[in-house]
Amino acid sequence: MFLIFALLTLAGAVALAFQRNLVVAGLCLVLSFMGVAGLFLLLANPVAAALQIIVYSGAIVVLVLFVIMLLNEHQEEPAERSRPLQRWGSVVLLLALAGGAVRLATGSAALRKLEGAPLPEAMNLDRLGQALLNDHLLAFEVVGLLLLAAMVGAVALVKRDL
Amino acid sequence: MTSLQSILSGGLQGYVLVALLLFLAGLGTVLGRRSILVQFMGVELMLNAANVALVAFARFRGGDVQGTVFYLFIIAVAACEAAVGLALVVGLYRHRQSTDTDRADALKQ
Repeated sequence: MFLIFALLTLAGAVALAFQRNLVVAGLCLVLSFMGVAGLFLLLANPVAAALQIIVYSGAIVVLVLFVIMLLNEHQEEPAERSRPLQRWGSVVLLLALAGGAVRLATGSAALRKLEGAPLPEAMNLDRLGQALLNDHLLAFEVVGLLLLAAMVGAVALVKRDL
Repeated sequence: MTSLQSILSGGLQGYVLVALLLFLAGLGTVLGRRSILVQFMGVELMLNAANVALVAFARFRGGDVQGTVFYLFIIAVAACEAAVGLALVVGLYRHRQSTDTDRADALKQ
């Protein structure tokens, strides 16, 4: 199961990087987010999986697709001039980073020490709510204010004349 | 357990590897594409990679609730970023009639 969801996630992400059609790229993003939600389920965290589907593959992707269709930009424009140095530079950088990442993740003794942990009790809203409102009340309120500020900011940026 | 076995069967190393590769796919999208909307999707992928790592570490540390709390805060910030970022994209499009970042190379029109 882990392998299926991991491949789903990475396939969506890679397809997004190579997809020319912007709407299809948005749907690749949904695939990737669904894969991540599956990984969260395997990690005994159904709360995070539900939030992932509602917020990411629901709200954020719908917002992005809405803007794509609003601006009528379904295809990426052809490049005005090619930049071979930047293109191959970024490919080399990414491959080097990927190689380093694989080496780091497979060779780490600290990660291996945590490996044998038994599957914990599944996360539930009860525990999450207790932790959120007992230990992180201030941060919770600040996030509410931040969402309000973002909402007002988005309206102020898009509206032509306030 | 060897590391390859651990990765294939869904051990912590497997999740960390998926998170790292997801982050790199997002980074590649941001670096390699010119449409600002696709770059935005790449940023969302990178945020998701951080979430995968966070929730994975929380599970392997005995179902720690703090991981999910931080995940909640991250998605709240990501939602704010989506709203403001897309408003900026719409504003940019009004100025330049394009979402190509190569064309947005000057502060002044």
